[in-house]
Amino acid sequence: MGFMRITPPSGPPITFTGRLHDARTATVLGRLLGLAIAVCFATGVLSHCLQHPPAWLADRLPSRPYWGYRLTQGLHVASGIAAIPLLPAKLWAVYPRLFTWPPVRSVRHALERLSVAVLVAAGIFELFTGLLNTFQWYPWPFSFVPVHYAVAWLLLGALLLHIAVQWPRIRDHFTRRSPGTLALPAADGPDRRRLLAAVVAGAGAATLTTVGQSVTALGPLDLFGPRSPDHGPQGLPVNRTAAAARVTEASLTGWRLTVAGPRPYSLTLDELRAMPQYEVTLPLACVEGWSKSARWTGVRVRDLLDRAGGGPDARCRVVSLEAAGAYRVMDMGRLYAQDPLTLLALGLNGEVLSLDHGYPARIIAPNRPGVLQTKWVGRLEVS
Amino acid sequence: MTHRYVVGGCGIALMAFGGSLLVAQPEPWRVVLWLASGVLVHDGLLAPLVIAIAALAAAAGVRLRGVARAALIVAGSLTVIALPPLLRPGGVANATVLPLDYPRNWLVAMAAVTVIWAGYAGVRACVRRAARRRPDRR
Repeated sequence: MGFMRITPPSGPPITFTGRLHDARTATVLGRLLGLAIAVCFATGVLSHCLQHPPAWLADRLPSRPYWGYRLTQGLHVASGIAAIPLLPAKLWAVYPRLFTWPPVRSVRHALERLSVAVLVAAGIFELFTGLLNTFQWYPWPFSFVPVHYAVAWLLLGALLLHIAVQWPRIRDHFTRRSPGTLALPAADGPDRRRLLAAVVAGAGAATLTTVGQSVTALGPLDLFGPRSPDHGPQGLPVNRTAAAARVTEASLTGWRLTVAGPRPYSLTLDELRAMPQYEVTLPLACVEGWSKSARWTGVRVRDLLDRAGGGPDARCRVVSLEAAGAYRVMDMGRLYAQDPLTLLALGLNGEVLSLDHGYPARIIAPNRPGVLQTKWVGRLEVS
Repeated sequence: MTHRYVVGGCGIALMAFGGSLLVAQPEPWRVVLWLASGVLVHDGLLAPLVIAIAALAAAAGVRLRGVARAALIVAGSLTVIALPPLLRPGGVANATVLPLDYPRNWLVAMAAVTVIWAGYAGVRACVRRAARRRPDRR
């Protein structure tokens, strides 16, 4: 015979013989990673809304629970860090699929692979930029906040699309008794469980050795956190120093607080100290994840606004003495401004505020990102 | 089936929204370059490296399974988290940023993983030896 020679289809150039590159391993790791990404995304968008509220939301942002932002931003960074070991483990499980042969079967297949490429790229990008941001390390040539925010939506979208595309495989491998799981070699079961336990231990170890920066009780385990609750003047870390803000003792001579409104007035530091003083215990919670509780003493912001003729619905604008900075002018919604816990603080942990913590007066409000706790306040405006 | 299309459609819509935010950035191609680099570094460098190490170990008769693999995964996870403070160039904004002794802490973490690994392996070897000596008790 042999009058027609059929060229045999060429096989895949690379094959994998290692174990556990299967759909069950990918499903279990994917569930954990998906959960971490969901928590990270939700808390991240929440933080974005608190920090840059759209106009319609500004007066509706709640000031309670007072520990809310501390919890959500601590979770944002902790879930992101937990995802760092989970992502490479998940990619390892599915790595052979990168060499699928033929590489592209149809237009639909090409689009599917493209969406996976976007998912992987966005996942690596978000974890990498987020981790480096907590260390204030910016090796990239773009602005961190808007880009991290934009790629977060890209990541969530690609993740939803991925779940929709892979749903039959996820469903078939969801539990140990699912049909797809049962079709896999039974001998792989114990090995897979040991691998998953090891990856969870890795994620747990990474989280435990950094989460002390926001869970003060776990401070002794803080080996790799960029902040430590024990380090900082008056028992509290600092983000922006007075030197960085170009505020000096000399520039504060003759300082007066100006309060603008229907009945404007100004006060010296002594006059402020003569007003009713309150003590509150509130955390300073930074967008970079660290947080610590402290005792603050000072005057209620709503008392100051009342005196200037602001009604019970008054909100305010706070202007810092710092020369420049993205948060020099801060707007405070109604619920924050009227909360009795919101102070123009003069003291911290039983001492006069240090210059780096905002002497002579700073804002401390419940459930708000640290950058909005304006330091070196020079002016309040009823708005 | 309908649910899958709804979820997938939502995913495409959110990707489009994220994409539109990216395009609105100055020089979005720089971001695309960094996005692509992450995939290239992982798929072309890190993943082959891990697989090559496992293959070399297997060829040398070292079984990277069970506790040894777990110890390597935990040590690797801790090392990845420790890399930014270990490698970050330049000064810090103030004394409360990166206040810890990170090289020392990394060594402590690696020592802890090694001790736990060795301790676990040692206990397991003892238990197995005891079990072998009294096969009737099992």
